[in-house]
Amino acid sequence: MTAATNTPTNGAPAEGAASFADWMSGLWLIVTLELRQRVRGKAWYVLLGIFVLLVALVTTLLWYATAAEYVGGGGVFSMIVFFVLLLGTLVSPALSGNAVNGDRDAGTLATTQVTLISAGQLVLGKFVAAWITSLAFLAASVPFLIFAVSAGEVSAATIGTSILVLAIELGVIAAIGVGLSGVVIRPLFSIVVTYLLVAALSLGTLIAFGLLGAATKATVTSTFTPVLSSDFDPETGEQSNVVCGVPETTTYETPRFDYYWWILAANPYVVVADASPGVFDENGSPSDSFGWIAVSVRQAQTPPELATEYDACDEAANGYDSYSGEYPGMQVPGPTQQEIYDGALPSWFVGLAIHVALAVGALLWAWRRTITPARRLAAGSRIA
Amino acid sequence: MQLGIQVSGVSRAFGSVQAVADATLSIPPGSVTALIGPNGSGKTTLMLMLATLLAPDAGTITVNGHDPATQPQLVRASMGWMPDVLGSWPTLTVRAALETTGRMYRLSRPAAAARAEELIALTGLEELADRPSRVLSRGQKQRLSLARALVHSPSVLLLDEPASGLDPAARINLRELVRRLAGEGTAVLVSSHVLAELDEMADAAVYLTKGRTASPEALARAGASSRAWRIRSLDAPALAAALTTIGVSPGITSVDKLGTLVQVTGEVAAAELLGRLIRADVPVCDFGPAVGNLEHTFLDLNRPTSTTEIAS
Repeated sequence: MTAATNTPTNGAPAEGAASFADWMSGLWLIVTLELRQRVRGKAWYVLLGIFVLLVALVTTLLWYATAAEYVGGGGVFSMIVFFVLLLGTLVSPALSGNAVNGDRDAGTLATTQVTLISAGQLVLGKFVAAWITSLAFLAASVPFLIFAVSAGEVSAATIGTSILVLAIELGVIAAIGVGLSGVVIRPLFSIVVTYLLVAALSLGTLIAFGLLGAATKATVTSTFTPVLSSDFDPETGEQSNVVCGVPETTTYETPRFDYYWWILAANPYVVVADASPGVFDENGSPSDSFGWIAVSVRQAQTPPELATEYDACDEAANGYDSYSGEYPGMQVPGPTQQEIYDGALPSWFVGLAIHVALAVGALLWAWRRTITPARRLAAGSRIA
Repeated sequence: MQLGIQVSGVSRAFGSVQAVADATLSIPPGSVTALIGPNGSGKTTLMLMLATLLAPDAGTITVNGHDPATQPQLVRASMGWMPDVLGSWPTLTVRAALETTGRMYRLSRPAAAARAEELIALTGLEELADRPSRVLSRGQKQRLSLARALVHSPSVLLLDEPASGLDPAARINLRELVRRLAGEGTAVLVSSHVLAELDEMADAAVYLTKGRTASPEALARAGASSRAWRIRSLDAPALAAALTTIGVSPGITSVDKLGTLVQVTGEVAAAELLGRLIRADVPVCDFGPAVGNLEHTFLDLNRPTSTTEIAS
């Protein structure tokens, strides 16, 4: 029995600074512990099953809705990616939002903190586990993505970037969840705050963009110079004795969305859409919903023309050739969707940078709050 | 490097609440020290500071020569802590929980498995080793918690209420285990409300009242104050008569179902009383302090000071 309490086999645990290998194995220990604790439950598999069922349903409906057989799988592919992002944002906060404070409530946080596991390993390990958990949802949707790709018209670059950015976005949500669980004392509250933050990014950015843009009005001054009378020579097709009227000026108000386009950049759906390389058909129209969203967002960058002038008189006197050589009244063709897309600033890396900064900030904050020995404790909190 | 635990002038406040005001104590290796105090006296806060979880506001602590506030990793490598809160990873089996804890102390995988096996045997959890820990009863969780504190064979052991929820047999095992660990050189600090149990386990005691450890003078005073001794005789009337003859006033005696209680100041006086009873041919079959040493000191230290003053 004496030997049982003091065996030579375990030896003294390593003292002093841990080597990198030790650090990584400690991190992985937390990851596996977390996965065994939180994930390996029947409920989780049920959830995953429901998810697969939903994605299957959505894929089927999209297949017929977009006539994918004829136009290719671009539409189906992008909508599945969005659907995975939607479900990921709905599920991930619930799975990660009580990672740290839930352990504190269960009395298992302090018993880990007194071991050689550092606060950094603890928080990072929980984040990695939460990320892996939400990546499982992405993995479960892969068969459907492949199915969409099989319909053709989806470029390898689109597949690669959209899945990569989606994976990063899922990681951002996992990091925010784990981070807030280390900062907020009560598990329920940290989960709710995580949901609110995700909602602020997904919906709040749209609302803010719409309201701010609509509320900020600019006045457009439109000047029109009419022709009062002229003689038209059918032989030459030219006009003579042109009598010009007084230029008429009208004003009206227009919203300034171009001031606020960057707000949309912080929207995760926009990030995923804008990041994937734009694919356009021969008419210059986007071939998937990523492209449509990216074009809409980039279109918002263009400021409205605040002074328009139409001098019919000048046109009558000098002929139409001075403008476009076309006939009067014919519309000069506007830029195609592709031209708008190419002419604007890509915003996805700004949005992604904001998200990654949020994620890193949340994790760092949680790390600070999990360091022991604790000097300051939040009111109402306890160590163990 | 000074082994064991040294605490000097330590304080810690939570907002306006001064949990520990002034704690000073020393626990040499190879000894068991009881930490005694009423609820809210700062026992758990002091334990948390020793366990590297809470930084003190003032004062110095060393555990095996290292400061828990500045060198927590060095302290953790040689310190085991059994918390007063029962926490275990609910889905892990007892064995997996112990192996995981071992791995957290950087034991190799086989070493952690071997150590888990030893500790399961040591704490009598063999039959539950492969059950998830959420099915354990309170006492069984308490044993798992003790096993977890011992995973890395620490040379300093902090036990916060280790006996609560344990059945009598497990309590005896705990006592023997703690004594054996001390015999092997471990410095043990143990808090408990069951003072009789600590009496049998501890070499020394530290009394904490309102965050302050009792001074040696206060302890000496408490030890010297009068206390009840229980006397049981085969012939109760003879005992009563003898006590009256000896001059013990009936005012300081009382009778309960286990015998007669007499207030005696100090062991010298007790020995003298016993001698006189024997010489008076009273058939005494039981003679001893009615409450244990620790309990007597605890009660005396926590007696409201005002009433003591009025009485004296």
